[in-house]
Amino acid sequence: MDSMSELGTGLGAIEGAPTGGAAGIAETAGAGAGRRRARALLRRPTFVISALIVLFWVVAALGWHLFGLDPYGNSGQALAAPSWSQPFGTDNLGRSVFARTLAGADTALAVGPAGAVLATILGSALGVIAGYFRGWVDTALMRVFDVLVVLPPLIFLIVVVGAFGASVPALIVIIGVVFAPGIARIIRAAVLAEMGKKYVTTARLQGESAVRIMAAELVPNVLPTIIIQATLSLSSAILTTATLSFLGLGQQPPSPDWGLAINQNLDFIETAWWTVIFPALAVASLVVSVQLIADNIKETSS
Amino acid sequence: MTVLNPRPGAAGGADSPHGGLPPPIPPGAPRGFSALAERHSRILALLGKRLIQIPLVLLAVSILTFWLIQLVPGDPGRNALGQYATEAQVHAWDVSNGLTGSVVVRYLHWLGGFFTGNWGTSFVYLVPSRPLILGHLENSAFLALYAFVLLVPVSLILGSVQAYREGRRSDRAITITLMALSSVPEFVTGVLLLVVFAVWLKAVPVQSAADATGNFGQRVHAMTLPAVVLAVFYLAVPARMVRTGTVGAITAPFHRTAVLKGLPSGQIVRRHVARNALIPTVQLLGIYLGGLIGSSAVVETLFNYPGLGALLVTAADRKDAVLLTDGVMVTGVIALLALLLTDVCLILMDPRIRFENTES
Repeated sequence: MDSMSELGTGLGAIEGAPTGGAAGIAETAGAGAGRRRARALLRRPTFVISALIVLFWVVAALGWHLFGLDPYGNSGQALAAPSWSQPFGTDNLGRSVFARTLAGADTALAVGPAGAVLATILGSALGVIAGYFRGWVDTALMRVFDVLVVLPPLIFLIVVVGAFGASVPALIVIIGVVFAPGIARIIRAAVLAEMGKKYVTTARLQGESAVRIMAAELVPNVLPTIIIQATLSLSSAILTTATLSFLGLGQQPPSPDWGLAINQNLDFIETAWWTVIFPALAVASLVVSVQLIADNIKETSS
Repeated sequence: MTVLNPRPGAAGGADSPHGGLPPPIPPGAPRGFSALAERHSRILALLGKRLIQIPLVLLAVSILTFWLIQLVPGDPGRNALGQYATEAQVHAWDVSNGLTGSVVVRYLHWLGGFFTGNWGTSFVYLVPSRPLILGHLENSAFLALYAFVLLVPVSLILGSVQAYREGRRSDRAITITLMALSSVPEFVTGVLLLVVFAVWLKAVPVQSAADATGNFGQRVHAMTLPAVVLAVFYLAVPARMVRTGTVGAITAPFHRTAVLKGLPSGQIVRRHVARNALIPTVQLLGIYLGGLIGSSAVVETLFNYPGLGALLVTAADRKDAVLLTDGVMVTGVIALLALLLTDVCLILMDPRIRFENTES
């Protein structure tokens, strides 16, 4: 399955390309570079706006019940158009679309971050191991990943969710395991580029153990790549959970989840567009913001 | 990428014709004359390797899928016959559907059936799963092909425009737009387009895609919105590949040589830029075509289109193990065939593959 692995490393080369140099800089500069990078990020308007949008949704997710929003109560008026009392209108059961859209951030952010963290830890560990040991360990891992990527990702997810259910803990583990191979490939490519550098040889000659070289030498040097992959997988994790809910395989009614809300209100799209547009814009704003944050980190670390 | 771990078998017959001489170093990496000697066998060797690999990968995928679907909770016999059937009737139904015995026995029973064309009966639809899946597959393939026809020229144009304007504001704007579009779920893009074009502008009917039957013109009209949504979602990566490939080609020394020796620009683009820039893109597009057929589940559900993806979502939702196992295997077969097709295209496009051992 060469072309699959070629594709993997090809994409890895694209994603990982700018960070090869960054790792070199990080190697020599240290903490000062981190602060400089943070300041460079804050000067970028797309980063600041995206971060504010993500912050907004995090506040909505954590605090919607503190603001007195009621996503489940019937206002007595079904499918009412947006007005002063109901800024986003109401759905077919008379529930406030405004309250439901804000409360929907809760389920959208329940799975994504934890799943992305798990996927990043798992993928980075496997990628570093494959890149460091090479040989049969690498070949075996890559062959297993080849089998996992044969099926279209969504089909694979449908099967796995069918088998293990769609509770929040199950989804976190599923996202973690399903996203890990892609991250492992890119980290592997980054580690392979590092392996040719002198500090690895030096560490080996000093008699450092394999675990120490991987954890203390290689991981810090591929950290920019890992951070970018973590952010990118957060965006796809949010997209994936929303998609599963939309397909009816994730959150179940009466949850205010965005994907589910769009699925439930599709029948009313002609008479009450506001019931689908606001959840749709909510998903879009969150995933695009996370994606732009990843992009900005990538740009500033090169 | 550097050549690491050449796989066993990848070297073809590199070490056999050397007689008593020691094999070249490193083993399995033909260089110089040894590469020239076997240039004609390269294509057959590559295809032969694929033809061995594909059934093996498929077997691994089928074991994984079958095992996972066995974990799906539910009592299919009881579901199919209803709550008034006796235990004996449910048991007889289970036996006739190959649902008794150990997982290994059931797997072999299913595998034998799959290869002999006896794919079992869907628990939910109560019809043989083979015609059901193949009918939906045809619809999905039509949609995927339509999306693909939209995707290829647009990604070529956008990618090359970006490459020739590298580093400028328009380059960055296209990159950000495409990235944003690909990170938004298909149902979000779909809903926004539906509201704009179907509800506000009334250019297309809302339930348009539901009529997948009818003559060719009607089908194309009905499927335009779903195909656009699919193409938009998958646009970013191919466009990025075209951009990277084109930037690589126009900054290469051979491009400067071609310009300096006064070749007409059309010829430079055709013979020097396009050929080199397209190689990674073709590879990616082949995989996309295979993936599009399974990945269209969201768009099919959104537009109520009777495709394979939507069928598999229903199968997973209603715990229809037979339909799900067969359908997932079909998507796997298609993805692998697309990969084989990609290899053939690459061999035809890139002479280096015929001569060199291009490992990861």
